[in-house]
Amino acid sequence: MQLRKLVAAMALASGTLLAQAVVAQETTLEFVVWNYSLETIQDNVREFEAANPGIKVNVTDYTWPDYQDSLVLRIRGNTQTDVVYGGQDWLPAWGAAGFIAPLEAVAPAEEIEALKSDIAGFALTDVTYDGKIYGLPYYADTISFIYNKKILEDAGIAVPTTWEEVTAAAEKLKAGGMDKPIIYEYNQELPNFYDAFVAQAYGRGAELFDAELNPQFADPENGAFKQLQWLADAYSKGLVQSDNHESTIITAMNTGAHAFTIVYTYVLAALNNTAEQPLAGQFALAPMPGEAHSTLGFAKSYVVTAQAAADPKRAEAAWKFVNFMAGRPYTVAKRWAVEKGLGFGQLPLFEDADVKAAWGKWADMATLADQAKSAKAGTYTEYSSVWSAYFRPLLAKAMVGEASVDQVMKDGAERWTMLKEQFASR
Amino acid sequence: MWTLRRFPALWLLPALLPVALMTIYPIAQAFWTSLHSVMLLFPGEPFVGLENYLRVLGSNYFQDALRNSLLFTLLAAPTVVVLGTLIALFLHGRFLGSQVVRSLVLLPWVLPGAISAVLWVWVFHPSFGVLNGLLQDLGLIEASIPWLTSPRTALPAVVVAHVWTQIPFAVVLLMAGLSTINPETLEAAAIDCRDPFKRFRYVVFPEIKSMIVVLLVYNALTAFTSYDLVYAMTGGGPGTATTLLSFQIWRESFSMYDFGAGSAVAFIVVAVSAVLIVAITRALPSDLFAES
Repeated sequence: MQLRKLVAAMALASGTLLAQAVVAQETTLEFVVWNYSLETIQDNVREFEAANPGIKVNVTDYTWPDYQDSLVLRIRGNTQTDVVYGGQDWLPAWGAAGFIAPLEAVAPAEEIEALKSDIAGFALTDVTYDGKIYGLPYYADTISFIYNKKILEDAGIAVPTTWEEVTAAAEKLKAGGMDKPIIYEYNQELPNFYDAFVAQAYGRGAELFDAELNPQFADPENGAFKQLQWLADAYSKGLVQSDNHESTIITAMNTGAHAFTIVYTYVLAALNNTAEQPLAGQFALAPMPGEAHSTLGFAKSYVVTAQAAADPKRAEAAWKFVNFMAGRPYTVAKRWAVEKGLGFGQLPLFEDADVKAAWGKWADMATLADQAKSAKAGTYTEYSSVWSAYFRPLLAKAMVGEASVDQVMKDGAERWTMLKEQFASR
Repeated sequence: MWTLRRFPALWLLPALLPVALMTIYPIAQAFWTSLHSVMLLFPGEPFVGLENYLRVLGSNYFQDALRNSLLFTLLAAPTVVVLGTLIALFLHGRFLGSQVVRSLVLLPWVLPGAISAVLWVWVFHPSFGVLNGLLQDLGLIEASIPWLTSPRTALPAVVVAHVWTQIPFAVVLLMAGLSTINPETLEAAAIDCRDPFKRFRYVVFPEIKSMIVVLLVYNALTAFTSYDLVYAMTGGGPGTATTLLSFQIWRESFSMYDFGAGSAVAFIVVAVSAVLIVAITRALPSDLFAES
């Protein structure tokens, strides 16, 4: 009897130890995201876990406006964080601060090289810092000039190709009774606000910085200077209605009270969503007005933290996860594109039949492909997000006439130069 | 032997330790940060003395932000107390459905700031907002008013939203204060004096004045440190129209990556708050908290 008890106890103890060993083998990655379509993220994570036994992924989400500061606090507070959503404007600063690790620290060089060849130029620029690739695209998109086809047709207005034509069209619509023909995303705390401005300047063919990163936009002949003047004039003529967020722009455009807006291209998918929007189908994108018709392209990415890269086991799991989410055969990127209309940085998806079929419902694929080809990346440095935070309220003041365009551009250029020098001598 | 009287500090230690850890340590850490250059992009955290404070005080936003915060406080705190008092007096009476109305009044209190902000954006929106629609239906305006994006109307608009979120707490406290008044006193006052304003001034107000002062101080502090609602509604804009001082704590720390300057702004906010408390309590009658 005693022996039987002893054997039973030993069996129980060894079973517990075995179970502990199994649990110990399991790696739980901490994945931090902003909360866009959280259910899709969690579903993708479940598929990854099913395909990779032994790796669990814990998703933590923050709202988009709170994302950057929440993440900085997490990392500064040494809260375990392994893979994060990265933004092109934050990436150099995070790299310089040692928050994130280049992919070469967690992945074989040949795998990165192979994936690199599939990534669109602007998207590759946006995931690169100091010559090293820090992430793979979660999505890549452009900023678009969007108009209401029916309103323009009814008013006999051709699609504008220059900013002067946009003014003329808006003035004609205003004279016809439309109070504010242009609706503009105006929130000085969101990076979108600066991105949209850069996209418009690119439409004019402007370069905001030269090759040595000296600011050029304070020159009145620079396209960015001209564009800010254009915005200030449009505001002073009462042609523009400000809106705090793209989500309310979608609703506002669907009231038929506005004809033009400048937003991320994926907003077009929401505008033309027949299930939700009363005027779906009336919206289209046109090449960004201006002589060059270029626009800003950008990429959000999956990035591995330095904390994860320092632990070989976590590093291996993190790379598997990033590769699943953004690597070949691009299943997850395709899912975002087909189901949510998110753009992508992986070029092979432009040829995918399912993507073409899905996107054809809300956009003209040929115009979209042309725009993606001509899109340019922004200028991002270690200090550019700090500078952008300083410059955005100035832009906002100039638009509504609280400050002169000349003063704002000079002030912005001075601050850029100061930060550049400060950073160089750190 | 180990009595509370002989070793009070020892007995209080279990309670004091968590307080010290949760309150004193973060405050001390923030103060230390405000005296050092703590910038995300730059290595090291050298001591800089009062440099962060001087830089913040001399910055291009400080005057606007301080003026807006004081104006916001000046508009919001008295409005919350006055409206809260009126609503509490109304709800204190018995009428059909009073219990339901009392519960509904609490609703804004339980909503997170971001949700309240979304609701108020839908009220103020120029294209589909309820307020513009109503004013247009009544024939009071022809064109929509850009409440949140015009420098002239943005601050009053966010004050309205803030007041809406703060009224329930004021109502709850004032109703608690009103319920302590002897019903016989109110009954006698109703017989002796027909004028409700005089009854309020001479009978009700003396009974709830200490509660009103507490509410005034509390709401002044809440308004002066308000952040989430305004941030979600306007992002501090347009221009600097709704840029508040408390908002700059976040901007300096997380947009500019300068935690030293952010902490300095935080301590300036604390200093101004302390001045506000002293100013409000000194401006009130000296017998306020005296036993009546």
